[in-house]
Amino acid sequence: MYKNNIPDLNRRAFLKRTMALSAMGAAAPMALNLAAAGEAAAFDATDYKAIVCVFLYGGNDYANTVVPYDLPNYDKYAELRGGNPGRLRGNIAYGHAELTPTALTPVVAQTLTDDLQFALNPNLTGVASLFHAGKAAVQLNVGPLVVPTTKAQYQAAGVPLPPKLFSHNDQQSVWQALGSEGATRGWGGRIGDLALSSNGNSLLTCISAAGNAVFVSGQNALQYQISPDGAIPIWAAKGWAFGSGQVSATLKDLITRSSSHVLENEFARVTARSMQMEEIVNTALAPVNLTTSFDTDGRPNGLANQLRIVAKLIGARNSLGSKRQVFFVSMGGFDNHDGLMENHPGLMSAINEAVSAFYAATVELGVADKVTLFTASDFGRTLSSNGNGSDHGWGSHHLIVGGGVRGGQFYGTAPHISVDTDDQVGQGRLLPSTSVDQMGATMARWFGVSDSELPVILPRIGNFATSNLGFMT
Amino acid sequence: MREEVTGSMDEVRPEPQSKAQSDSLPSAAVLGVVSAFALPLAACGGGGGGGGGGSSPPPPPPPPALNYTETEAARFLLQAQFSLTSDDITAVRQQTYAGWLDTQFAVTASQTGTAWLDGQGHGTPKSDGNYFNPIMGDWMAWRMMMTGNDQVRKRLALALSEMLVTSLSPIDGFWPPYVIAGYWDMLTANVFGNFRTLIEEVTLNPSMGFFLNTKGNQKEDPATGRVPDENYAREIMQLFTIGLYELNLDGTVKVNGSGQPIETYVQSDITNLARVFTGYDWNYSRVTWQNTAFLPYPIPTTEFTRDRMALDASKHSDLAVTFLGTTIPAGTPGATALKTALDTLFNHPNVGPFFARQMIQRLVTSNPTPAYIQRVATVFNNNGAGVRGDLKAVWKAILTDTEARTLPTSPRAGKLREPIVRWTQWARTFNIASTTGKWEIYDTSNADTGLGQSPLRSPSVFNFFRPGYVPPQTQFAVDGDVAPEFQIHNETSTAGYINFLAWSINSGYNDVKPSYSNVLTLVTDSKGLLDWLNLRFTANQISAATITLMQTALDANPVTAASTDAQKMDRIHGALLMVMACPEYIVQK
Repeated sequence: MYKNNIPDLNRRAFLKRTMALSAMGAAAPMALNLAAAGEAAAFDATDYKAIVCVFLYGGNDYANTVVPYDLPNYDKYAELRGGNPGRLRGNIAYGHAELTPTALTPVVAQTLTDDLQFALNPNLTGVASLFHAGKAAVQLNVGPLVVPTTKAQYQAAGVPLPPKLFSHNDQQSVWQALGSEGATRGWGGRIGDLALSSNGNSLLTCISAAGNAVFVSGQNALQYQISPDGAIPIWAAKGWAFGSGQVSATLKDLITRSSSHVLENEFARVTARSMQMEEIVNTALAPVNLTTSFDTDGRPNGLANQLRIVAKLIGARNSLGSKRQVFFVSMGGFDNHDGLMENHPGLMSAINEAVSAFYAATVELGVADKVTLFTASDFGRTLSSNGNGSDHGWGSHHLIVGGGVRGGQFYGTAPHISVDTDDQVGQGRLLPSTSVDQMGATMARWFGVSDSELPVILPRIGNFATSNLGFMT
Repeated sequence: MREEVTGSMDEVRPEPQSKAQSDSLPSAAVLGVVSAFALPLAACGGGGGGGGGGSSPPPPPPPPALNYTETEAARFLLQAQFSLTSDDITAVRQQTYAGWLDTQFAVTASQTGTAWLDGQGHGTPKSDGNYFNPIMGDWMAWRMMMTGNDQVRKRLALALSEMLVTSLSPIDGFWPPYVIAGYWDMLTANVFGNFRTLIEEVTLNPSMGFFLNTKGNQKEDPATGRVPDENYAREIMQLFTIGLYELNLDGTVKVNGSGQPIETYVQSDITNLARVFTGYDWNYSRVTWQNTAFLPYPIPTTEFTRDRMALDASKHSDLAVTFLGTTIPAGTPGATALKTALDTLFNHPNVGPFFARQMIQRLVTSNPTPAYIQRVATVFNNNGAGVRGDLKAVWKAILTDTEARTLPTSPRAGKLREPIVRWTQWARTFNIASTTGKWEIYDTSNADTGLGQSPLRSPSVFNFFRPGYVPPQTQFAVDGDVAPEFQIHNETSTAGYINFLAWSINSGYNDVKPSYSNVLTLVTDSKGLLDWLNLRFTANQISAATITLMQTALDANPVTAASTDAQKMDRIHGALLMVMACPEYIVQK
């Protein structure tokens, strides 16, 4: 039957985690379960690998990110999105000629549904170059599923469906943690659980540069939060506050000591972690010399700033003893019910600048084939226009970038450009033909997770035909 | 030591002592004034005391019997508003919790955000492009937080703004500060009204129209395949009124025969309801279009930022609407359809427990018992006089409930005080004022360098934090508790807050400066100073042992009357920093 439960991690991971924790002198994990039998470690890694999740908050508009380009399919797209005669831009459709510079030609010939050819958004020029260089791939129509699902099954609710489809906060949680809002373990964090023991500093296994994110929280792997400028020192607790060393020392004690009150204790636990890691991290970051520019257009780009600190942390991997890391970065602004053509191009441009720079940085650091970046988002959107934007959907197309990617190819099944076929559930809301679990499993395997451990990371992976979509080397 | 301030009248004055009290209880006001002077000397002595009156006037009436302890009154006040004075404590003890709330409900609203912007000239087009500049919206928002005698109204409106969310990020177009002020002013105007009126005002508000896309939303067009925008239809149900799952009166989730939660709506309910919200746009009927020397096109006056959105019947969907078991027939006029739709949502049995739980979380505790939710939801459903949605009754039910009024002993009780509330409390406690009238406090959302939160600046309609947030790998997760405010607490934001605090208690923020005159007399008495802060910031929730630690730290640098002003201020700043960074303050119990 369908697997819906999330099993606990195995004993090995716990034991290794326990040792790592005691080596750090940190608090013991909350709930050790040492019942399971031990097995060999998957991550006695000597090399370095990292996975970077770029989360696009708000639900990215798939149809203007990976755009139909061959004329028959482009014309369907333009008709549904209000394009103007002469294949010119109109309403929320790009003009055909605008797409030519970013039209994608697979490096090995592929035949897609309805002989589809795609172009990337006109602002994704750098990503298109990476595609043609074999360093970027497109995963078509991927989204949350419990089991492979047909439209008839969806309509009849004949199979279990992901909870609260089309709802932002819940689908963010489903993408990141395979459960609706309130889920506390992300699949990035679960991968991190297995990797804790490989790293010199286990707290630097799962890192968010974008605020709290459940994706990088595991059963034992904590999400460590870092600012784009590095770790933030608490200046007043570093020896001197308002003319007093004693006030500074007492402040430090007050904000870090444990408490029998759960809320007070958690406040202090995070603050203590902040202070403990700040010196370690900033000391390791200081000598990292990264010359790749993350600001090529002179405009502010928060995503680029986040990816720059990720690159710097990767640059500090040797001094920090990091072997396996999972990172989370994000940008918002994708919920374009209105003003899609005003807002979305700038978002795409920011992604293009940030992702291109990040790939270049991994080349500079000599780890291009060791670092894999992928995009994720709440959901895709409708293909049809609501006037000047698009509404919440389900499946979407996503990018995978890195030297370890079998790039220059499309993966998965292209959907018809349609609002009435069986691969969509109305208004062009895509019914995913590939599950998030499969996309995650493909990366997890590359990262070093064994086949037998995949269900620990992605408990429903057994419901799908394959756990390897083939986009990783 | 503070410069007397120039600027508009209401800019500069430290707040007069509770006006409400003097309006309603003239005799008590006399006592209040006496104790206001006496208290700093007597540190935390009892509030009453008969000041030695002369013999010739008629003898003052005997002081009314005081209810509660000073600590209990302070604890109540810090749930109901941002900050407290010794007069507030006295007033609560004289009037009772419920009576004091009634007094506050009657306090006239202070200057609106819109009126303040007008007074500053921010509505007059200038060649610097002020008509497109959102940042005066932040100045307005912080000034609204930090000033005015109607702080119960404002504290509760802030709570509403975190459930019925719009945000200055990203309002653009003409006059963003006015658009967000229009929302804030609408909340403060309706916070003591009825939820049914409130939700209608929210729906038709220009800011909400922009934020969730009702503005410009058009009916379906079969020729192009265009369909109504679903955004507001979804969020008004999911976030503003009923939520995702059917609820019992006590807020627990109803389950079906197989133990599964029962969803309140499905996609077709949203697609249908979306039709109701078509045809609306900002209302320019009162606007004057102004020509300027510096722009080739005219600039509207600001009335559209606060007038209800206008309905254009030609753009309103005529299709029938079926949602939540209600059918609105095809061809129903837009206003009628809206009334039916909002009545349907308002009368849904979920609204009481859904609203009650979130407001309890904002004001009292993250994890109220089902019984507490049920008591408040019951009042929401019927205020005792047959009225549903009476917000005054709901606020009173929340704040006077036995669960709110009993000092909890559970190690899981209370909530993380949110950064906006912490900083506003500091500002009000020390009579913050602008030296120029400008109130140049910017968006403080940056977690590295600011508060990680800023009023009316939520990053999305999901607020700064979600009511169901569970911090991973914590005791909360083990206990099955939620801890919403912890969603914005992390390694970066905790450092950013303490740094921002240390800087601002010393320097203020641009033209906005605190006055520490009310604690200057205590500066040579470290214990007295800490006790003063402990009562006003935490309702004496910092333990004696912790106060002793702080006192020892302060006493390491002795301060006497002969000490320099800098030494005295260092002591005050150091005491404040320790108190306001201390977890025993950060967690409001």
